[in-house]
Amino acid sequence: MVRALLIFGVALLAASMSYAQNSTPTDQTEQVRVLLERVQQLEKRVTELEARQAQPQAATISAANEPTAQQLPAPQPAQAPAAAGPGPGQHQHEMQEQAATVQQMETHYPSLQIRGFGDVDFSATDLKGTTSGFNLGQLDLHLASALSRKVTYFGELTFNAHPTDYTVEVERNIIRYDYNDYFKISFGRYHTPIGYWNTAFHHGAWLQTTITRPDIVRFGGTFIPIHFVGFLAEGNIPSGGAGLSYNVGVGNGRGNVIFRPGDAGDNNNNRAWVANIYSRPRRFYGLQMGVSGYRDKITLMGRDFREWIADGYLVWTKETPEFLAEFVNVNHRQVLTDISTNSQAFYVQVGYRLPWFDRTLKPYYRYEYTHTPLSEQVFTNQDLQGSTIGMRYDISNYAAFKAEYRYTKREISNPWVNGFFFQTAFTF
Amino acid sequence: MNATKKRVAVVLLTLILLFATFGAPSIAQTTRGGADIAVVVHPETPVSDLSLSEVRQVLLGERQYWNSKLPVVLLIRAPVARERDVVLRVIYQMSEAQFKQYWVAKIFRAEAASPPKIVYSNDMQFELVSGIPGAIAFMDARNIRPGLKVIRVDGHLPGDKDYPLH
Repeated sequence: MVRALLIFGVALLAASMSYAQNSTPTDQTEQVRVLLERVQQLEKRVTELEARQAQPQAATISAANEPTAQQLPAPQPAQAPAAAGPGPGQHQHEMQEQAATVQQMETHYPSLQIRGFGDVDFSATDLKGTTSGFNLGQLDLHLASALSRKVTYFGELTFNAHPTDYTVEVERNIIRYDYNDYFKISFGRYHTPIGYWNTAFHHGAWLQTTITRPDIVRFGGTFIPIHFVGFLAEGNIPSGGAGLSYNVGVGNGRGNVIFRPGDAGDNNNNRAWVANIYSRPRRFYGLQMGVSGYRDKITLMGRDFREWIADGYLVWTKETPEFLAEFVNVNHRQVLTDISTNSQAFYVQVGYRLPWFDRTLKPYYRYEYTHTPLSEQVFTNQDLQGSTIGMRYDISNYAAFKAEYRYTKREISNPWVNGFFFQTAFTF
Repeated sequence: MNATKKRVAVVLLTLILLFATFGAPSIAQTTRGGADIAVVVHPETPVSDLSLSEVRQVLLGERQYWNSKLPVVLLIRAPVARERDVVLRVIYQMSEAQFKQYWVAKIFRAEAASPPKIVYSNDMQFELVSGIPGAIAFMDARNIRPGLKVIRVDGHLPGDKDYPLH
């Protein structure tokens, strides 16, 4: 009986519900249908977006690598009006913004950049006749300006303190035309591309690990010609993993004052030439090795000498460790008498950027040796042997403190000299 | 403590000291999680496959031309961006300070006229790479958009197992 009543009640309820549904107005049914369709469209859209996000990267990348016009399907307003892409106005605005960004970032010519280098030094040695004290070092201004996509100007000026005045020197003055990576030609005054140090560090003491340059490339020194006036061709040599590059130049060679180039013209009717070939093997990132040759005719007090300089070097430029080694032989042959002399010099420098204190500390050691024979007629005696041990502390990305102890001896008859040297070097 | 234990202790101590001294990961060895970093270029750039050392050559400014008419335009994200972090760690193998010093020296040596251009966002990077012929940049592979050409590095695309930039 109870079961019969229950079945009757449920049937009655169903009938009443069915009636109620049938009596819903037609417009509501239509609304529900539209909403359901909309939900289906949105679900489809979400599924598409999720699928796209979950796609393997390779698929996205291959899509990116296809031509632009065939990429992302255009927005489909009929399917997903709410998710439609930007209208023509907005698209145009974006294009304008993009063009403005590109224009802003493109190089404008000429684009002059100036960078300065400076150093302040302190020295104290036990060499008789010298005094300890501070000196200003060099103030160095470097100019670089792209004149067009393929033409660039580089310049370097130094201001040097002397006992009675300052001198200004044009160290480098170069205009270069780049044809491509394999051929670049330039004219002007260079640091002679002999060996490594002379073209790696120039006049910025901040760039080099140590306080001073090795004696063979000392500014004002004569062992190799530091500067060169003429033209230079340079570039990479297609050589695969060997990473070969070259410099070849012709210029005035040494001037009447032997440590200066012939800035205002050659002092004889003979051009000097220089060739430098070096390798940066791709497999050993940080390694560089090279050989250089330099040939000139020197005229000194009416006597002519043929000069032949040969240089070889091997460097590891990463700082853990840093390793620099260079050897030079300078041959002078007097044209009249055919008497020939050979002077040799080398340096070996090692440094290591310590992993502590944010890698700001770098201890280093350098040994250098120079020998000139007694029969040498172009140079005065330049004999030197000595060790330098020091520590560089990079106080910021653009400034460093250096402290050095040197133990050196010039000529056999001279005593060994102890010296302490300090420097703060910076770029700005 | 007997002799054997002492010896073991000494060996362990030596190993710990050696590890502390030399075992600290170098810049190149440090690895971090995250998506691959794609090398992207302007679509008309005539390269599609470079070895890692060739990418390094481009980034070091040793290769400055794609061909004689098309100079390389280097773009790099500003500091703190993950893309820059990966580029410095894997390609340059330099710290931030070393990277800055490298470009100061490079220009000072007259080997380049300007350092890489700094970009501050992916949008900006996209606009510049797609707008400047010869441009090359480094982008999180998830953010790659149509209009860029993705370069294979050592024959691999981002997402491949042996892709080196991540």
